[in-house]
Amino acid sequence: MTWRIGVDIGGTFIDFFALDEATQRFHTLKVLTTPADPGQEVMDGIGLLQSRHGMDPATVTDFVHGTTVGINTVIQRKGAELALLATAGFEDVIELARLRMPEMHSLFCARPDPLIPRDRIFGIGGRILADGSEQTKLAAEDVRRAIATARARGAVGIVISFINAYRNPAHEDAAAAIIRAEAPDLFVFTSSETWPVIREYERTTTVILNGYVHPRVAGYLTSLEAALQRRGVMARPMVTKSNGGIMHTGLGKTACVNMLLSGTASGVMGAAFLARQAGLANVLTLDIGGTSADVALVIDGQPQFGMGEVVGEFPLFIPSVSVTSIGDGGGSIATVDGFGVLKVGPESAGSTPGPACYGRGGTRATITDAMAVCGFLGHTPLAYSSVTMDRARAEAAVGALAGAMGLGLRETAEAIIKVSISNMFVEVNKLIGRYGVDPGDFCLMPFGGAGPMLGCLLARELGMERVTIPRRPGVVSALGGLIAEVKNDFVRTVFLELAPDAAPALGRIGAALRTDAEAWLREEQRFDGPATTRFLADMRYAGQSFEIEVPIDAEWIAAGDIAAIAGAFHRQHVAIYDFADETAEVQIVNLRLVIAGVTTPPVFPVLPLADAPALPIKQVDVWYDGASRPMPIYLREALLRGHCLAGPAIIVQEDTTICIPEGFAGEVDSFGNLHLAWQEQLA
Amino acid sequence: MTIDKVTLQIIGNHLRAAAENMAYTLYRTAHSTFVKETEDFTTQITDASGMCVAVPMDLGATWYPGINYGRAMAMIPDYEPDDIAFTNDPYSGFLATHVPDLHMWKPVFHEGELVCFVCGHIHNTDMGGAVPASLSRALTEVHQEGVRFPPLKMYRRGELNEELLRVMLLNVRKPDQNRGDLKAFVGALNTGERKVRAMIAKFGVDKLREGMGLLLDYAEHQAREVLLGIPDGEYFFSDYADEDAVGGNPCRLALTLRIEGDGAVLDFTGSDPQLTSALNVPTGGDPHHTLLLVGVYYVLYTLNPQIVLNAGLTRPFTCITPEGTVLNPQSPAAVGMRSLTCGRLRSLIFGAFGLAAPERMPAAPAGSSSIVNVMTTDNRTHRTILAAVNPIVGGAGGMPHRDGTNGSGADAAYLKNTPIEITEAEVPIQILRYGLLPDSGGAGRWRGGLATALDFRVSAPHTRITARNRDRSRFRPWGILGGRAGRPSDFILNPGTARERVLGNTDTVTLEPGDVIHIHSPGGGGRGSPLDREPARVALDVERGYVSAAIAEADYGVIIRDGAVDLTATESLRASMRTGETATHFSFGPEREAHELIWTRETYDALTVLLAALPIHWRFFVKTKLFELMPRAGVPANPPSLREVFAEVRAAYPEVPEFDW
Repeated sequence: MTWRIGVDIGGTFIDFFALDEATQRFHTLKVLTTPADPGQEVMDGIGLLQSRHGMDPATVTDFVHGTTVGINTVIQRKGAELALLATAGFEDVIELARLRMPEMHSLFCARPDPLIPRDRIFGIGGRILADGSEQTKLAAEDVRRAIATARARGAVGIVISFINAYRNPAHEDAAAAIIRAEAPDLFVFTSSETWPVIREYERTTTVILNGYVHPRVAGYLTSLEAALQRRGVMARPMVTKSNGGIMHTGLGKTACVNMLLSGTASGVMGAAFLARQAGLANVLTLDIGGTSADVALVIDGQPQFGMGEVVGEFPLFIPSVSVTSIGDGGGSIATVDGFGVLKVGPESAGSTPGPACYGRGGTRATITDAMAVCGFLGHTPLAYSSVTMDRARAEAAVGALAGAMGLGLRETAEAIIKVSISNMFVEVNKLIGRYGVDPGDFCLMPFGGAGPMLGCLLARELGMERVTIPRRPGVVSALGGLIAEVKNDFVRTVFLELAPDAAPALGRIGAALRTDAEAWLREEQRFDGPATTRFLADMRYAGQSFEIEVPIDAEWIAAGDIAAIAGAFHRQHVAIYDFADETAEVQIVNLRLVIAGVTTPPVFPVLPLADAPALPIKQVDVWYDGASRPMPIYLREALLRGHCLAGPAIIVQEDTTICIPEGFAGEVDSFGNLHLAWQEQLA
Repeated sequence: MTIDKVTLQIIGNHLRAAAENMAYTLYRTAHSTFVKETEDFTTQITDASGMCVAVPMDLGATWYPGINYGRAMAMIPDYEPDDIAFTNDPYSGFLATHVPDLHMWKPVFHEGELVCFVCGHIHNTDMGGAVPASLSRALTEVHQEGVRFPPLKMYRRGELNEELLRVMLLNVRKPDQNRGDLKAFVGALNTGERKVRAMIAKFGVDKLREGMGLLLDYAEHQAREVLLGIPDGEYFFSDYADEDAVGGNPCRLALTLRIEGDGAVLDFTGSDPQLTSALNVPTGGDPHHTLLLVGVYYVLYTLNPQIVLNAGLTRPFTCITPEGTVLNPQSPAAVGMRSLTCGRLRSLIFGAFGLAAPERMPAAPAGSSSIVNVMTTDNRTHRTILAAVNPIVGGAGGMPHRDGTNGSGADAAYLKNTPIEITEAEVPIQILRYGLLPDSGGAGRWRGGLATALDFRVSAPHTRITARNRDRSRFRPWGILGGRAGRPSDFILNPGTARERVLGNTDTVTLEPGDVIHIHSPGGGGRGSPLDREPARVALDVERGYVSAAIAEADYGVIIRDGAVDLTATESLRASMRTGETATHFSFGPEREAHELIWTRETYDALTVLLAALPIHWRFFVKTKLFELMPRAGVPANPPSLREVFAEVRAAYPEVPEFDW
């Protein structure tokens, strides 16, 4: 009689995915967020699970939580006033960043304002060289002066990032010790404890993000823990991480940077899990919300990982699930310029005021309004009845553009959809170009509130022939937390030429990484189940300015098998870049270890087999592809295993609306996933 | 028109996606760090005539949205499917504008008919010639700048011309890199062709063709809309490169911008004659040459960030570049370092548009980005190491609504740096400082962006430092509307020691162990009177270390005592300073003002008229001699007239042809 609960907080809604292990039934919920009182919505949801489904809080064994509190703190710039201690001579490290900036065709291009203004950045004497040796002692008096000035200028915490600290953290540690001893009211983070990797800007921006969100994240998690306890939930709560894993909330309070992308990462993890469950190897996931669309590749059932994912306006350099965010969502606004050309986005009506048809004060036409005008939406309540659709408002908003375009109302609505789809096409194409894959080899898995609405249309544009829509598209992220592993990444920069004499150092560092990882999992996370470890190396040819990630067999490190490591690098280089040079010098920049405590995935009930064809609840007229055509509307909850459907059709469910254009047809599998395929003969 | 605006927008998106895809493929598979790190490459889709219809926005350089392949393409008479053509000759069709740039194009046929081309360029690390990397200011003929290929087919019907490739690879210093990049480039072209084929299947060939035409019209329309928003008139501006050759005289670029309705003429008459150095910009007199219009793309995009980037943007503009001048040199003038001159060309255009639309344009960006490289020996391994340290980039000019971006921005925002820790781990040098230079941004209501400074110490004998594109160490990035000029750049050996040597625009120097080299870029120009900058903002700049207390007082009239603004003292100081303010549009700084006391606009105009009348091979020689005889600095009591000085030159060199005054 135990329950496992996954929770994901988004901008407008908080999603629950609760599994009753006794009955193997899962329940989903959406509750409006309570921005004024974060955490309250979690309690509301738990109350609903109790009252609706008879859940006993004491029987909750897992409570896994994805939150946007960290990322919102960065986006809204409501984080802590910090000071930065930098090596003297390098105080501008975060302002210069890596120089290249967005909007590079504009004379007005600028970097985002740094999270720490220059007057709270202090140059500190003392120098560690590239080999880790100390050239000049740390100037303790500089640290003391900085503390006083930082405090006077309003800092509540200090982050420390010194040149070459990845190699020798002694100066960072010593400066931190001075602060802890002499200014215990200021919190301190060092770059070498956060992610000790070579490249000063990347390491500095990462530790700054950590410090910036720390007070809010810690405060939020503390009150969440207390509220859960009051409610009688005794399980130690977990939070989802940017790397797709989970950790205890206690650690989340200091290792904040690891949970900045918790929601987007767990969405991809959830989608990858559903893909594997459905037997799909290669999937392009498409999570569309109100303001943006997140796209990610799942290859051989596994999400892709990378560094440099963007948080607000800043790159985050810890291993994270790779997600490309596109500025097109259900709330993206359409405008017409002086030449009569239609633009959609990047401006968005967001959740407030939201699309005009939500009747919450929005008056400008959005993609959602266009879908309503065409007739795809508005036949049943949306988002668990929290939104009612006002089609007249949608028509007024879209109608305002029709004149400027010289088109009819429905033609204008269709144009908005088509232009936004082609915007997404450009961005998804870049992702495809970056990975060098063929979209035809992938199945599109749309989820989120607006994903299933636009998924088939985007697939058609991309030439993707297969679309799979999960049973509960609105709660994929919440599910992602529930199936995640207790996982952490460890890194040492080694920066060695890959030659036989590197073997002892690699062996030593490998062993140290393993000790750290085991301590983290067994002692810090108190995890006693089975665990996996995986070595990765960031490697390159000498002279290259970037590294590629190469999976390394632990045996190779233990046995000092340099040739095997080099071979793996050359093969990976061919796989990514189509060439290798086996005569060139290879450098191993970082050695990494990923440890993951395996959690038992929930078992999903199998749907009963359909014994009669699916029946639509009604027929509506929908305008698309230049004509009005009748479309049947089906209820998702009435669809059973083996049910077959062909477009054009609409499927409605509590958390989303699925639009199936003509040419797509498919079948429901045993888990309720709808697998659609492009039918050449119908097109 | 049979296709509607919606389809047009969708075709535009698909074409851009194809160009982006080509760029990602090239970036992913290229071998050289030049492509990977500085992203000195471009990709385009052009129509059947060679006009660029789509470029990527994410990757690559910013110079070629308006490129026209037409002249070079036409030098090959017959195209067949699966041909790939290429050229790197600056004088064959004026497509490649220096020898390292290899342009390639592949026709896309549908049912036997040419639909369009997929194209692009990469900057090869080396194409042979007199010096490694093929580029040096000191070169005087294009023949010294590497092996050149006129437009030729690298692939004929899909078959590689191995012989041609062997000639190329024999002549270059890093053949493996050229070969690898070439392979990646071919992959990118094939990707582009595949994407175009998908578009033909989706939209139909007629719609795609028509869509390309309309996209050019659309960009043209947007450019014309911007011009309509700028008052008609004639706007003259000139700017100088510090040196016209190694240790040479100033090189003036002049522009008369005539805006009439929705069109504009850019008349570059009055620019210097072609130079006996590698600073020439080969345009072949093309009135729409993309290199002449790079500054214009920036202006258009700045005034309308929604603008579509393609060759339609060039249509409303007509450029006039007299033959035998620095902007339209005759073969075999050397052109390798044309990027330095292109920096001045852009600031020239920004200045002229600033006169036309002062309320919407920024002051001058730093305008000179020196790429610092080091060649040294590792004392432990005795290995020679050649590495790029960093591009040293200056700030943007003060904008109408905010300060210039610090340390980069404006027309240099595409450059990337290398982490200090990577450099120190790989190269036996110690970086002492890499950051912003205080007091380097031109003072103004909106301050110019600060310069970047780099100091490092070397440890091996015979360490060679090169810093390409050195300029603006004399003539400053100008301020506008009362804003001051930014601080000039500099290059100093062992600063602050007895062994200090100021290197100015020198671009190469040899160091001894223990030597410290300092380089800083120029700072951006300021915009608006510094006396109008809020005292609190000045105080914040002081607190942040962007401006010193001394300059806050001297330039901004803001007096700071104990960390706070003394408002009363500031008010009275500012009142006294205001009386000294003069109302000129530009503020050039003392160096240019001193120079123009002798070389007034009239004198320099007369100089260029005189030189233009001489046969091309005399021009640079005579200019150099005239400069030698003119006073260098200060205000001479009776400056000689150009006519008198010319007479002296003719007296010394009777072979100089006479000029009809």
